[in-house]
Amino acid sequence: MNGVAKSPVDVLIKCPCTGMKHEYLSVATRLKAALMHFSFASDVQDDTSASWRKRRKHFFVLSHSGKPIYSRYGDEHKLAGFSATLQAIISFVENGGDRIKFVRAGRHQVVFLVKGPIYLVCISCTEEPYEALRGQLELLYGQILVILTKSIDRCFVKNPKFDMAPLLGGTDAVFSSLIHSFSWNPATFLHAYTCLPLAYSTRQAAGAILQDVADSGVLFAILMCRHKVVSLVGAQKASLHPDDMLLLSNFILSTESFRTSEAFSPICLPHYNSMAFLYAYVHYLDVDTYLALLSTNSEGFYHLKECRIQIESVLVKSNVLCEVQKSILDGGLHVEDLPVDSSLRSGLPYPHPGQGRAAPSSMSEIGGPAGLWHFIYRSINLDQYVSSEFSSPLNSSGLHKRLYRAYQKLYVSMHDRQIGPHKTQFRRDENYVLLCWITQDFELYAAFDPLADKALAIKTCNRVCQWVRDLENEIFLFGGSPFSW
Amino acid sequence: MASRRRMLLKVIILGDSGVGKTSLMNQYVSKKFSNQYKATIGADFLTKEIQFEDRLFTLQIWDTAGQERFQSLGVAFYRGADCCVLVYDVNVAKSFDNLNNWREEFLIQASPSDPENFPFVVLGNKIDIDGGNSRVVSEKKAKAWCASKGNIPYFETSAKEGFNVEAAFQCIAKNALKNEPEEEIYLPDTIDVAGGNRQQRSSTGCEC
Repeated sequence: MNGVAKSPVDVLIKCPCTGMKHEYLSVATRLKAALMHFSFASDVQDDTSASWRKRRKHFFVLSHSGKPIYSRYGDEHKLAGFSATLQAIISFVENGGDRIKFVRAGRHQVVFLVKGPIYLVCISCTEEPYEALRGQLELLYGQILVILTKSIDRCFVKNPKFDMAPLLGGTDAVFSSLIHSFSWNPATFLHAYTCLPLAYSTRQAAGAILQDVADSGVLFAILMCRHKVVSLVGAQKASLHPDDMLLLSNFILSTESFRTSEAFSPICLPHYNSMAFLYAYVHYLDVDTYLALLSTNSEGFYHLKECRIQIESVLVKSNVLCEVQKSILDGGLHVEDLPVDSSLRSGLPYPHPGQGRAAPSSMSEIGGPAGLWHFIYRSINLDQYVSSEFSSPLNSSGLHKRLYRAYQKLYVSMHDRQIGPHKTQFRRDENYVLLCWITQDFELYAAFDPLADKALAIKTCNRVCQWVRDLENEIFLFGGSPFSW
Repeated sequence: MASRRRMLLKVIILGDSGVGKTSLMNQYVSKKFSNQYKATIGADFLTKEIQFEDRLFTLQIWDTAGQERFQSLGVAFYRGADCCVLVYDVNVAKSFDNLNNWREEFLIQASPSDPENFPFVVLGNKIDIDGGNSRVVSEKKAKAWCASKGNIPYFETSAKEGFNVEAAFQCIAKNALKNEPEEEIYLPDTIDVAGGNRQQRSSTGCEC
């Protein structure tokens, strides 16, 4: 084992973060030793450590003094030695007037993000690009701010010994749910949100009643179903960043107590104002659908409760909640429904999301036309995306995750700051044909059968865009959206 | 009632090379001792869980290298320490004389908010050697120095025999804890929309 050590005691003596003296290469070596050190030490201390080592993706948060704040796996306190190692590495490079971005050690990539007194680290062997992992650390940091605000920095200024972990007590589920979403929720790398498909009039009805309460002093009124937006309204000039929506909905969805009662909680939207709290009134209208009313008034509970009662009664009367449930059952866009010939569009009804799909026309055909398996369309102006439902042959969560990671890689390469941004990319490997097309209005990410014909695939992408435009009133949120200000 | 979270205490061990810092730590954490000298490179990190006054603590022990060439690592290591342990070898006068330098170096680099009352503990190690006959620093002298620096607690230890090690670390934990500031309620501001602070990405926060 790289001659590191045979007994735990040996390991203690030899271990890490030593020399990083002149070059970062040695940092990698040290880190490898540190990882190994940890494994040994925990073999002695902690019987779960064998499984800990096998984890493919670790996330750590620690303070600038090396005190552990969060670890995805394992007990932070048992990892105190490990987080000390991470701090020593980060601080050492910092003292040299430099900044450590990442370290590669064999198959592992260690990505660092320093946010003032808070250090975030991801150790991963998932082969995700640096930019993607860094983006995930940014979101993890954002989630900390959602719970505590950036005022937390003041505690470290006052007292460098400050132990932040207790302030995050009870929020483990929030972080693990966010980290899980990195592998299933494209919003985490697209920086856009997605809407539940609904008839235009239904969404309008929901928007109108939300607008009424926004006019009565509510800063943001958000109606969501799982992680999809039904409608949202902001007070004048207030705008909501898609990442804030992601972090807010993750916070709500992963906090069990919101489900059991109406709740009022301080909450920070980092892109809106990272230094201060807002107050969120959260209430589930049914098992999937919840309303979040955000106010600046810490004593606004009763007013917001009134608003909720009013909203709920309108939503029930106008049948919005039933439509929402129906939409969940029907699902979103299915690649099989992609209209075959766009020239026939005019005058003929084209399939709407989930509406009366016919059985696949031919048994041999899997997925959509021209071998289309899946797509994501991101509207740049709206900060919204729509993603097709997964269907055969992408029918396991492992395959979904693999495709999202491929999209994520595509996203990073398309937005490369040095050699990009690019307009189109066509990539064929043993798993798929991936096609990406970026214009000033939209970004399209599409996955095809690996044997798909290139010209046909491009043609199909055009049809997807046309289809999305034809359906835009149902799959996107227009007007009344704070983004239009 | 919810159980209180365990606290984590960061403890830095300083002293000349070869005085037995690593051995003390190993004796304390794993009850092991080796006569073989292996220089620490940079720093080693160890954790130990302890119980004190019915509460659980995790000691995060930073065992640093004594050689001068590692002194540049100081700032990176010392920040946010809860307690600093100064170790010397009772058989080596120079290691005792240097305690003053170690203490001052620590205070400069860690710049704790209240340097006068920052918790130190001094350990005179290797009292077992030669039955104490080769000893050159008397207990009295050591205690006098500790007294002059604001009554630093003093322990005579033998990492080899495990003598007084447990007691010394109990005291270290106690002192680290004593210095812990009263927990304040964490109370960030609320956004003040009326105060014209509703602009997106306002990083200043409100001053209310």
